[in-house]
Amino acid sequence: MITAERKPLSEIKEMIAPYKKILVAGCGSCVAECASGGEKEVGLLASALRMDAKMEGRKIEVNEITLDRQCVYEFIDQLTGLVGQFDVILSLGCGAGVQALADVFAGVIILPALNTAFIGQTKEAGLWIENCRACGDCKLGYFAAVCPITRCAKGLFNGPCGGSKDGKCETDPDAPCAWQLIIERLDKAGRLDLLQNVYPPADWSKQQGKGPRKIHREDQSI
Amino acid sequence: MKTDSRLKRVLEKGHFAVTAECGPPKGADPKVIKSKGKILKGFVDSVNVTDNQTGVVRLSSLAACVLLKKEGLDPVLQMTTRDRNRIALQSDILGASALGIRNVLCLSGDHQSFGNQPQAKGVFDVDSVQLVQLVRQMRDNGVILGGDKLSEPPRLFIGAVANPFADPFAYRAIRLGKKVAAGAEFIQTQCIYNLTRFNEWMDKVRDLGLDEKVYILGGITPLKSARMAEFMSKQVAGMDVPDEIINRMKSVPAREQRQEGIKIAIETIQALKEARGVHGVHIMAIEWEEAVPQLIEAAKLFPRPQV
Amino acid sequence: MDQKSAGLNITIFFCQQLDANQDANRRVLERELGSRIKFFPLPCSGRIEPLHLLRALETGADRVYLIICPEGACRYREGNLRARKRLAFAQGLIEEIGLEPQRLELIQTTQGDQLTIDQRAHDLLARKAAFGPNPAKLQGSRGQANNARTLEPMNPGTPDVYQGVHYDYSGKKTFI
Repeated sequence: MITAERKPLSEIKEMIAPYKKILVAGCGSCVAECASGGEKEVGLLASALRMDAKMEGRKIEVNEITLDRQCVYEFIDQLTGLVGQFDVILSLGCGAGVQALADVFAGVIILPALNTAFIGQTKEAGLWIENCRACGDCKLGYFAAVCPITRCAKGLFNGPCGGSKDGKCETDPDAPCAWQLIIERLDKAGRLDLLQNVYPPADWSKQQGKGPRKIHREDQSI
Repeated sequence: MKTDSRLKRVLEKGHFAVTAECGPPKGADPKVIKSKGKILKGFVDSVNVTDNQTGVVRLSSLAACVLLKKEGLDPVLQMTTRDRNRIALQSDILGASALGIRNVLCLSGDHQSFGNQPQAKGVFDVDSVQLVQLVRQMRDNGVILGGDKLSEPPRLFIGAVANPFADPFAYRAIRLGKKVAAGAEFIQTQCIYNLTRFNEWMDKVRDLGLDEKVYILGGITPLKSARMAEFMSKQVAGMDVPDEIINRMKSVPAREQRQEGIKIAIETIQALKEARGVHGVHIMAIEWEEAVPQLIEAAKLFPRPQV
Repeated sequence: MDQKSAGLNITIFFCQQLDANQDANRRVLERELGSRIKFFPLPCSGRIEPLHLLRALETGADRVYLIICPEGACRYREGNLRARKRLAFAQGLIEEIGLEPQRLELIQTTQGDQLTIDQRAHDLLARKAAFGPNPAKLQGSRGQANNARTLEPMNPGTPDVYQGVHYDYSGKKTFI
């Protein structure tokens, strides 16, 4: 899932300051799962913004809606006919959601209320961890399903570096050393032979080499 | 053809090599480098110049290497993969060779979060093993990554680092093997205070036959005080300072601790001289270059051989 | 002056395990104080959401209490622990808008006390009024709808079928 965290209220307030009629738009997918942009969070933010305006004697109108998905046109279309009633849409979608709204509703002001963080996993209730950088060239098969690009602080393909101590990374005593994990798992799988390989540098052109990436599938087109 | 790398000549002739480390200043003044060079000249075979060590901005390693070269020393250019992508690294390798630098040490570098630019983007486009491999291919095959031919290959003696004290211990010698397979010709290790563990690591290195494929230089950092020993033990990642060393430093009065630190270093050098497969020492006297000549004389490593 | 005489609006969320007759016991107070007191029984205090607390303040409460069972006594084991964290989160949020976090308060009952919900409410009403009226509550008398509303999608052009779009794991888009 894509994870995100709400921006500080002060930053959101500064962005929406010029506007009176605000639609807080959530997304029921990834950011709902990580409790930053779903229906509940939309309610909390809208409520906080209304109370804040009341305390400061400003008159604003804040309404709420949560789309099932903010990054797919069919769901975004639910806003058609509504957006014209507002000065601004405050999106609680991820960066893709914010940009998708802006793409569909040209001329409407769309502002982000979240800081999009990473592609991650719900490790336990209330804990999300990053484990994919979407490099476009997955090598997990060589590294016992531990991504060195994401989970090693230096992104080493031929780790571990000299800062691995007691299974932890030197940059963060709470973070496991990805290479310790890789070695342990390869050992269990009887594939320590994979550690002998000198892995070549990554092909970053598959990630960001030519600007934004796209996937175009003829069989999926109408 | 006789190589311009003094380090390579010394090692190939079978001498016990001595290298030292010189940290560039946090400023543009060349005098600091020159004076450090003057202290070390004649006492060491080559001098490593650190590359923005611990992620702190300093005068560039390449510039400092050139300054040392002008002083008549044989510099070892340290190159980390933290700050430059493959384009910049390969370009600097060519530049270094053109400026007469004949040794390069490839490492990933301390993570930027430790330094004075923690908001910097860590590059890590390639890692240390890949850097060794690409320098080797540039030199021996005259090609850069992707296969484009060089009009003139760089002439460099290629080194890498090893930390026998980091985890997972069992894998450390295997990783050294990867660096050797990638093309490393000499290895400088993390500072050695725990000789027992170093010897265990060397056993594995010898079992793999690596000591016959690569020159290994053991790292030495003379301790200045008991406090430094404790700090390194607790605060510096990848450092192993056993309690007996800390207690030994504490057992002497503060004003004699520097001398005790030198004594420990001399004993470690003696042990390394006797260890099979260890081909030299790399002395990292952190901001204490003036201790190096004294240490080298006391360890009977002076005079340096004529090669 | 106590909270009752100060005319403050009180909202009480509580774990209904605390009082088997809560439904009957709160009636007298509700009749006496009308919209100035609101009770929200929860099957377990762990079911509280920060949004409930915010909505209570927004719709007119001056003080909001969340009454939870004694430590270690939660019927669902961790409900009261969760309640504490949820309340703390809501406190953080109202602090961001400059409202006193203490307007939201956790009341942990003690083992063996047999107080009914109305007795607890009386105790709370008898407390000193540390705060005046909540400056963040919206216009209009308590209980009335405010200008907050959740919008229903208004686009009649969207086929209903999209409401039930389902992606299976093969990545194929199917309709359910």
